[in-house]
Amino acid sequence: MATALVHIALFAYTAGAVAFLGWLVRPLPRFVTAGRVLLFVGLLLHLASFVAAHNGLTEAGFGSDVWRGGQLFSLLAAFVVAGYLALDLRYRMPVAGAFVAPFTVAVMVPAHLVQSRARAIAPELTHSVALAVHVSAATLGTAALALAFGLAVLYLASEKQLKSKHPGRLFARQPSLELIDRVGYQLAVWGFVFLSLAIATGSLASRESSGNALPFAPKEAFAILAWALFAALIQARLVAGWRGRRVAILVVAGFLLLIGAYAGLLTAAPHASVVALR
Amino acid sequence: MIFVSVGLSHKQAPIAVREQLAIAGDGLAARLARLKSIAGVHEAVLLSTCNRLEIFAAVESNAIVDDLLRDLGELAAPHAVSRLGEEALLHVFRVAASLDSMVVGEAQILGQLKEAAAQALALGASGPHLSRAIAHALGAAKRVRTETEIARGAVSVASVAVRLARKVLGNLEGRVALLLGAGEMAQLAARELKSQGARELLVANRSPARAEELAREVSGVPVNFAELPALLERADVVLCSTGAREPVITRELMARALKARRFRPIFLIDLALPRNVEPQVNELENVYVYDLDDLERLASENRVVRESQLGRAEEIVREELQAHLREQRERAAVPVLARLRQQAEGIARAEVDRTLAGLELTERQERSVRAMASAIVNKLLHGPTQRLRSEAGSGPLGDAAARLFGVENGAATGIPATAGRTAQIGPGPNPVPPLPSPAPDPAPGPLPEPDPEPAVLAPPDSSGHSPTDPSPARPGVLRLLQPGRGRR
Repeated sequence: MATALVHIALFAYTAGAVAFLGWLVRPLPRFVTAGRVLLFVGLLLHLASFVAAHNGLTEAGFGSDVWRGGQLFSLLAAFVVAGYLALDLRYRMPVAGAFVAPFTVAVMVPAHLVQSRARAIAPELTHSVALAVHVSAATLGTAALALAFGLAVLYLASEKQLKSKHPGRLFARQPSLELIDRVGYQLAVWGFVFLSLAIATGSLASRESSGNALPFAPKEAFAILAWALFAALIQARLVAGWRGRRVAILVVAGFLLLIGAYAGLLTAAPHASVVALR
Repeated sequence: MIFVSVGLSHKQAPIAVREQLAIAGDGLAARLARLKSIAGVHEAVLLSTCNRLEIFAAVESNAIVDDLLRDLGELAAPHAVSRLGEEALLHVFRVAASLDSMVVGEAQILGQLKEAAAQALALGASGPHLSRAIAHALGAAKRVRTETEIARGAVSVASVAVRLARKVLGNLEGRVALLLGAGEMAQLAARELKSQGARELLVANRSPARAEELAREVSGVPVNFAELPALLERADVVLCSTGAREPVITRELMARALKARRFRPIFLIDLALPRNVEPQVNELENVYVYDLDDLERLASENRVVRESQLGRAEEIVREELQAHLREQRERAAVPVLARLRQQAEGIARAEVDRTLAGLELTERQERSVRAMASAIVNKLLHGPTQRLRSEAGSGPLGDAAARLFGVENGAATGIPATAGRTAQIGPGPNPVPPLPSPAPDPAPGPLPEPDPEPAVLAPPDSSGHSPTDPSPARPGVLRLLQPGRGRR
């Protein structure tokens, strides 16, 4: 049941991505409406699939094999779509939809269509609250930072067009630089908050399982670097008033470091699964 | 009834003529009343803008066009163009879509036409035909604006500058603009910024007296030119048009101001020659500089884009016009159907009553007999109804059915059968050719009830309703005309 729902949701996301990309080619309002509706329907089905899978998870524990690595990415995709729809409702940013929808499909396909290997979880973490909070916070933070990354890329492209004085075809449909900068920064702050929580609870979970609060592994190193970079970014904004291009570049760099942390998670050896799922 | 348009625009008459013909707001009611009083004018809408004066009317015959021309006055007559039937409708559709505007794609005409139609309706001059046509034309115009890039980008230097400012700063409400110098174009852009919600317009000039004078003209605040560094910290948009030979805003000056303003973005519009802003200023982060050349180039690029969209826009307008004409013809087909059904139902009812009078049946049996008679009528008329509707009044079946069943065909087409034509009217270089006589307007048959008009722009009452209205179908009649309804 849950698998069928996810597959239908993935189909809706793909159709939504096609609608948004179609809008880039031909700016018909019905493409945007179709894209929004499809993403929303996809999100509902996607969330329903989590509810359908919920029973097994409650019984087996959050850190059990039921909760496989692929599902983390699936949850991340759902948060990104939900975040985008909320932003779009408030600020009307269809151009961001043209980034979010394909991104969602790109995350969902490997997460669901490729069989992910089960990771053995340390028995002491099976019912760990710290691990549950860690995974939730990390996913929410990554979703917020993924959206901030998308807006940062959009900012850099728009700013380049304005500076070069040769606006492209899509220029008229892009939001103002001020709006992209403001919303991108807010998302970066939220991402930073969740990332902080994820690192703290991850450290707790690590101590519960291995007694080592801060094991040295690529994932931890990348996550700490990304956190430090976002902390510096927020500091520079608050103290020196940094904004615009340099902030966008820092957000892009921070998100790439975070991708490094996820790469660390995926490449971790199966026996290091305590770390892997944190 | 025939649809006509009579009038002139920037294409036919110079501004010297147009400015004398423009109708002030308070004169509109009297002009519309005068138009409506012309014999044979059923409905009229008057569109008066700085670029055109046009009468759109639904009239009894082509000859009325001469009366409308006389109404425009002697000054207008040599320049006026009259259009009939389909061509007149096409003209309204093109005007609404701003394909006939001086600046193709401008949005103002949409509101002006809507306002003119609403005013005429409120004053009792307009009616269902014109309201439907104009509502459809406005719908077509919206389609043109959303499905093409005809309205993309601004096409004047001032509006390009303001659009770019919005692209950088977002909403201009609450922003501070600084006007340096007294250039005409900069003043124009400053006024547009103010109209877009700029909170404060600071006016600086080397001569304090001139600054005060200018500030009064543009509703701004005079400030001291010597305080330029401090002014650059405050302003979000700067409009430069001083006559200085050397740059007024240098990279160093702007860099200092930028730090002081905590890197808040600033948009500099340099409309001066030689330039007032050092080109290197554009290299600074969060500072955007556009000079006259940049703005001119963008305006001209936008004009090219708009022109490239004309073909598709014309296509949409023609598609929508055809849809409107089809709808008109469908409405025209309704009277024959209504009368045919009314006659058939009347016969069936009379026969059932006569038969039942000689029988002693229970109430239930009587109901069954009546239902059977009704079903026979429906089944017999189902085929003819469908064929008449699909023909939509454009073929010979309507008349044939009317003659065959002995009902009157009271359908007025609203559109003459002849194609529309344009004529330059009046004693000008292009004299009035004899206008074609209109398509014979068949006499309206007596209808069960006049139609309370279901037009999009509904009139306040049905007093302006013409007896030749081709849309007499009451909701009840329309329901009866639905194939299959009332069958057992």
